[in-house]
Amino acid sequence: MGRISAAYNWFDERTAIRSLIRKGLYEAVPVRGAWFYTLGSATLVLILLQLITGIFLTLLYVPSVSEAWASLHYLAQHDAFGSIVRAIHLWSAYILLFVIGLHMVRTFFSGSYKRPRELNWVTGVGLFVLVLAMAITGAFLPWDQAAYWTAVVVTNIPVYTPFIGSFLRALWRGADTIGPTTLSRTFGIHVWLIPAILFPLIGAHLALLRKHGEFGSYVNYRGAYRSREGVDVPPAPKQRPIEPPYPAVPTDELWAAPLETEDFYPHQTFKDGVVSAGLVILVFILAVAIGAPLEAIADPSTTSYTPVPEWFFLPLDELLVLVPQQLIPLVLVLPTVGVLLLLALPFIDRDPERNPFERPAVMVPGAFAVLFVVLLTLLGSGRLFNL
Amino acid sequence: MSALIALIAPALHLLATELPSQAPQGNNRLAAQAVIGSLFSLHILIAGLVSGAGEIGPAIEFLGFVRQRRRYDRLAHGLGHFMTLYFSFSSAIAILLITVLLVGYWGHFWTTMVTIGWWPLFIEAWTFVLQVSLAYIWYYAWEPLRAFKGVHMAIGGLLAIASFLQVYMIDIIASYMLTPTNPQNPLRLALNPTSYPLTVHRTIGNLAYIGFAFGAFCAIRFLRARNPEDKAFYDWAGSFGLLWGVAMTLMQPIIGYSYAKEIQLHSYGSWYKMMFGTLSPVFLWQITLLGIMFITATLYFGRRLRTDGARGAGLLRLMSVGLVLTTLLAAMPYHLGFTYADVAAAGLNRPFWEGGLINPLGSMIPWKVLALMFYTLIAIAAVVWYLRGLPGVIWGSARRGEQRILMLMAVLTMLMIVTMGFIRENSRGPFLISGEMTIQGQQNTQNPQPTPAP
Amino acid sequence: MAHRDPRRLSRRQFALLGTQVAGAVVTVLLGIPIVGFLISPLFRQQQAVWREVGDIGAVPDRQPTKFDVSFPLGEWTSANVNLAVYVVKINADYRIFSNVCTHMECPVRWETSLGQFLCPCHGGLYDMTGNNVGGPPPKPLPQYVHRIEGTTLFIQNRFTESV
Repeated sequence: MGRISAAYNWFDERTAIRSLIRKGLYEAVPVRGAWFYTLGSATLVLILLQLITGIFLTLLYVPSVSEAWASLHYLAQHDAFGSIVRAIHLWSAYILLFVIGLHMVRTFFSGSYKRPRELNWVTGVGLFVLVLAMAITGAFLPWDQAAYWTAVVVTNIPVYTPFIGSFLRALWRGADTIGPTTLSRTFGIHVWLIPAILFPLIGAHLALLRKHGEFGSYVNYRGAYRSREGVDVPPAPKQRPIEPPYPAVPTDELWAAPLETEDFYPHQTFKDGVVSAGLVILVFILAVAIGAPLEAIADPSTTSYTPVPEWFFLPLDELLVLVPQQLIPLVLVLPTVGVLLLLALPFIDRDPERNPFERPAVMVPGAFAVLFVVLLTLLGSGRLFNL
Repeated sequence: MSALIALIAPALHLLATELPSQAPQGNNRLAAQAVIGSLFSLHILIAGLVSGAGEIGPAIEFLGFVRQRRRYDRLAHGLGHFMTLYFSFSSAIAILLITVLLVGYWGHFWTTMVTIGWWPLFIEAWTFVLQVSLAYIWYYAWEPLRAFKGVHMAIGGLLAIASFLQVYMIDIIASYMLTPTNPQNPLRLALNPTSYPLTVHRTIGNLAYIGFAFGAFCAIRFLRARNPEDKAFYDWAGSFGLLWGVAMTLMQPIIGYSYAKEIQLHSYGSWYKMMFGTLSPVFLWQITLLGIMFITATLYFGRRLRTDGARGAGLLRLMSVGLVLTTLLAAMPYHLGFTYADVAAAGLNRPFWEGGLINPLGSMIPWKVLALMFYTLIAIAAVVWYLRGLPGVIWGSARRGEQRILMLMAVLTMLMIVTMGFIRENSRGPFLISGEMTIQGQQNTQNPQPTPAP
Repeated sequence: MAHRDPRRLSRRQFALLGTQVAGAVVTVLLGIPIVGFLISPLFRQQQAVWREVGDIGAVPDRQPTKFDVSFPLGEWTSANVNLAVYVVKINADYRIFSNVCTHMECPVRWETSLGQFLCPCHGGLYDMTGNNVGGPPPKPLPQYVHRIEGTTLFIQNRFTESV
């Protein structure tokens, strides 16, 4: 034992790693509501899963219009393990989108975007948009029928922007029609450009989280928060003194520090681990049981194929079905306004109140926005089954 | 009750005789359609409430548990009581219809339908058993399980699921009649093009209906209550019901539009009849009625806040004005004749300022679509502003005017349901199963009407 | 200290200015080619070529008939792409349609049971003459630039109007 601790000390003297580990592992996290907080780490784990499987997929995939499908077809026919890697990449993407949605709803619900955590939310919205962009650009790459028509429709949406519409479309496609440039550009965007922005942004998101601490949700205070009626709620205990290093900035006394905390390691890491491992197991089961489909090679001259959107694209696609011709720009306006509202949320809602039931002006429109997206997905889901 | 017996007595006669070899003809057919139509409407008017209560009751109980407020619990308890009282009546009508009247009058159609929809009806029957048992357990075990709220809420949750499944299963049958697909494949049967939109539409509709209904019930109780605790409770519950009803109803424009889109794609004849044909005046009435419902609800919101001097009353009045303007836009007819075909036949299908009978401002696209969007947006704003003003409201101090509005809302909702049912069932004419079986009971072997494939 | 001329830069200001200039030089030298590269497709014109479709003498009246034509994908690839051509003969008039929907460019197909062109993505409908009769598409079905020599049809891989 002496030699190991001596080696550790040697290392620590040269890298200051001990204090880094201490800071990382022994952060104070609240006891109550901790299971909700596992959604964030689950998102991170799934993104890392995407990174790893994606890197290994580039060892075989060729981003060329004549070779892309052929390389993946070869993978499917001759490489069982490689097919599983590709299937994990697909199913992890689907589940990631679902979990990131849950994570957003949770942080919205608990008011975790309020002072001093506004930038946490803003970086989070940026991450959401980038992950969505990854999912959409990744869908183009196999260049089978499904990928090809997804590419055609998605790259065609910007054309309805007034004045610069066809320029935007040509910018992405590399010409007025889909061609080799589209695939090369999309591959570069998917593998390099977006990850180069995504991962530093994740770093910023985590750094901000650490700076302000993992509490501030009203769930941490159940029992202490006196409802307006004061019925059936025990009186609030004496508020505990606020300990350093939290809060990083002065904030409302009530939300500054929770009643009980414990160490991040091992308590929160256990919960994070259970949820993340569970999700990875689910991804693995889906990858092995269902796998990643590869349809016939892209054929623009088809008159029998019915393009079906990816499930996360369904709300927009259902809007495309429902919106009449004169109002098509609405299909562009609605998501743009949605993202802008999301970004502006911490600056619109500056009321320090955290209890979701006491702030209907934000909760109700938010709930309806989520409901409408779910509704549109449900209404369009019939086409997923090719009905 | 005796009226019901008078209605079914002639049908009971059928039990003693052989089943007729063909559907009713001529005047008998009209009489039979009227009987079945009225009974179905009555059934839906009550069953919609029962299903809605089964879904919303457990949700309210859960909400009360989270917010630690007794009045939610009392409201949920009341909804449970309602279910136990009225479940049997609406079910009796339904059973009467499917085992006696439909078999007696349209035996060929109904036996075909049961054969095709065997599994949905089988599951429906069992969820029916589940729903009724759970409803009674949920209500009568309330006090005994007060210390085990989690268990009680779990029972409520199962009740909600059973209620939903019941509606889903029967909607499979109903939607199949409008947009039939491959009957051999049970998955395609269950997922026929209009089953999803219809189920979502009806589930949200049931939830809205129960909200408006118990709002009106609580309005009546409020006017009769004597002690302040009861008055406070009924005042709050009436407001809650209306709030809930509006929140659900404001989602209906987009759901309904999507449902109509599916009908357009898969049963064009029915769609045409509703939009341009003989049912178009009724459909126009429906969109107007929707606007009237939203206006009435917003009037309640404004009045209730003004009664206690809470902030936001003025803005809500402005929203009512906005809704009135939107309703006027929505209510404008497109063809100023009974049907579009009439107008075209008279050679007058040009704008009215050119001497014709067409009103371009009444076209669905884009004017009525915009009106529907405005309904939704203004209603969301009204809900939000009312909730913001609620902290300034003292429960129990409502005036009679508000209670009258609540009662009016329930009447309007019932009118809406009956109108919808009428449109639905008649748009399919002359078919019972679109493109395959007519009301006369004839199997249609000709080519079905042109309907685009997905 | 001697009286300093205020127009002369201090050491600190000089260093500051130098840093900014260096940064600007690198940004500009890197930025111009990259931005130019990104927007260059807007200024490249795809060359349209002629290809023979085939003999359309046997196309029946009022019955859209599909032909497949192979065109080069262009740019650096030697791969070809198949394009669908619907030839519609109405009396003596020929319409040469593509299968690109004007809504979202999904593949349109002729549905004999409907007597219309249907786009399966969002339910767009066009009649035999290519005009819009239903659904969200905002413009009629696009036609290819074409010429007919005798009974042989030739088309270019571009439309008469942009979609």
